[in-house]
Amino acid sequence: MNDSRSETSTISTDDCAAIQVCRLKKTFARRSDGQTIVSIECLDLIVPSGEVLFIVGPTGCGKSTLLSLLSGLESPTSGEVIIAGQKPDIRHDHLNGILGIIFQQDRLLPWRTALQNVAIGLEIAGVTKARRVELAQKWLYKLGLKGFENSYPRELSGGMRQRVAMARTFALEPKILLGDEVFSQLDKITSQKLGADFHLFAREQKMTVILVTHQLEEAIQFGDRVVVMGNYAKVLLDVSIQGFKNKNEANALCEQIENVMRQEDTPVSR
Amino acid sequence: MSDLEAETKALSSRVVETAKLKINLEATIALGGLALGWQILALLTPDFVIPGWEVIFRHILQLKPSWIVLTTLRVFVAIMFSFVVGFSAAILLDTSPRLQRYVDPLLNVVMAVPVICWILFAVLWFRGVEFRIFFVLFVVCCPVFLVDMLNGMKGIPTDWKEMVHSLRPKKLQYFQKLTLPAVLPAALTSWKVNLSLAIRVVTIAELVGATSGIGYGLVVAQGQFSIADIFAWTLVLVAILLLTQFCISYLENRFLSWRDIA
Repeated sequence: MNDSRSETSTISTDDCAAIQVCRLKKTFARRSDGQTIVSIECLDLIVPSGEVLFIVGPTGCGKSTLLSLLSGLESPTSGEVIIAGQKPDIRHDHLNGILGIIFQQDRLLPWRTALQNVAIGLEIAGVTKARRVELAQKWLYKLGLKGFENSYPRELSGGMRQRVAMARTFALEPKILLGDEVFSQLDKITSQKLGADFHLFAREQKMTVILVTHQLEEAIQFGDRVVVMGNYAKVLLDVSIQGFKNKNEANALCEQIENVMRQEDTPVSR
Repeated sequence: MSDLEAETKALSSRVVETAKLKINLEATIALGGLALGWQILALLTPDFVIPGWEVIFRHILQLKPSWIVLTTLRVFVAIMFSFVVGFSAAILLDTSPRLQRYVDPLLNVVMAVPVICWILFAVLWFRGVEFRIFFVLFVVCCPVFLVDMLNGMKGIPTDWKEMVHSLRPKKLQYFQKLTLPAVLPAALTSWKVNLSLAIRVVTIAELVGATSGIGYGLVVAQGQFSIADIFAWTLVLVAILLLTQFCISYLENRFLSWRDIA
């Protein structure tokens, strides 16, 4: 087993790759009986700079665990994760302003106004107050929240709250953006509108994006590449969809992905 | 902001104002009724049983102001120290569940000991009056602060913790941006409870083991069979408690106004 806490990477650094995952394994001990649960078995993944990658797969296949590992909130059991040349779980502060995360729930702090919630990342990054307010306002306006700067989260609708959460991440202008079923809590129309804004801004900022989703249409419409995962985050399909404009091609790919997912068993513990 | 939203906000603020007025009016009626009932009873009984308001207020003016200040200071110094120690210990225990498993049973034992026993221990163990009172207040209030703050910290949702961690703060920033504001409601509630507790405890402690302060004033009044003095000291204690509760409520309104927004 590799020592995943070592700061020295054992994988060769690819300058073009924003994210490199090598022989990644993650296990958990179940609280009730201490049994080891394998979440990710042995994953290799390279995401070039500027690529928009969608990860799809059945519930419980390890997609969200992968995002936790990429964001540094969890450490690998073995193997390596390298983000912009750094191990995210060890060199935590080195990725300040480089790595941004948008969660499934908005996770706004209820005692902060919309503006203060957007500015929290900038405060932590040490940005001056005037610049913080300027950036937070800019992103709130861009996301259609002009006039709601001083509203508390309880005064906002679900869609508005998720927009504030997006503004919080975009205000940091990260080079790499991770998202975990970002719009799954919203209704279809709001989700589509927010999704369109999200991808527009991500493209504008030339961000490298990894998004976990269950929406195949969204993945094919906005992604450069789709990775289909099975149990233990095994890569079942890795397909580039750049330049996919033909509706028939898109439908065929949707069907292919659905077939691959159907053939995969539901996850079991080992 | 649209006209409709502005109107809604104005309407809701008027509703809140009306509710406050109603509560104040009800409180005034209730307290006024109590005062009136007291005065009627005073007229029907001799002064050495239930003195009237005029007699009580005359005795309040004769109380030693230095003893009132001394008791208040004793409470605030001890309670402030208890809070600092309790909060610091809670931070330490929150980071170390193993240490918490050792401390939890000790806390349960300390909190199960009656206040009067702590006062007797203090009288037997320590010579200095000030240290005796400080010790009793500390040993009673500190565990309450510790438990309340620890519960407050444990109650911070994992979602918030992960979100703040994902912004990669330093430890102090994490404490300032998340822990402190998240436990503030628990801290203010704990202050309210502890202030009320401390004022009652300090009175008993002074009554048993001191030669100054409101508690000692009550002993002197009892010795002189002066029921008016006892009522006067009681009113002062109630006033101190209400004043401190008012200050905490002000802080709650100032810092936790976001909770009232629906």
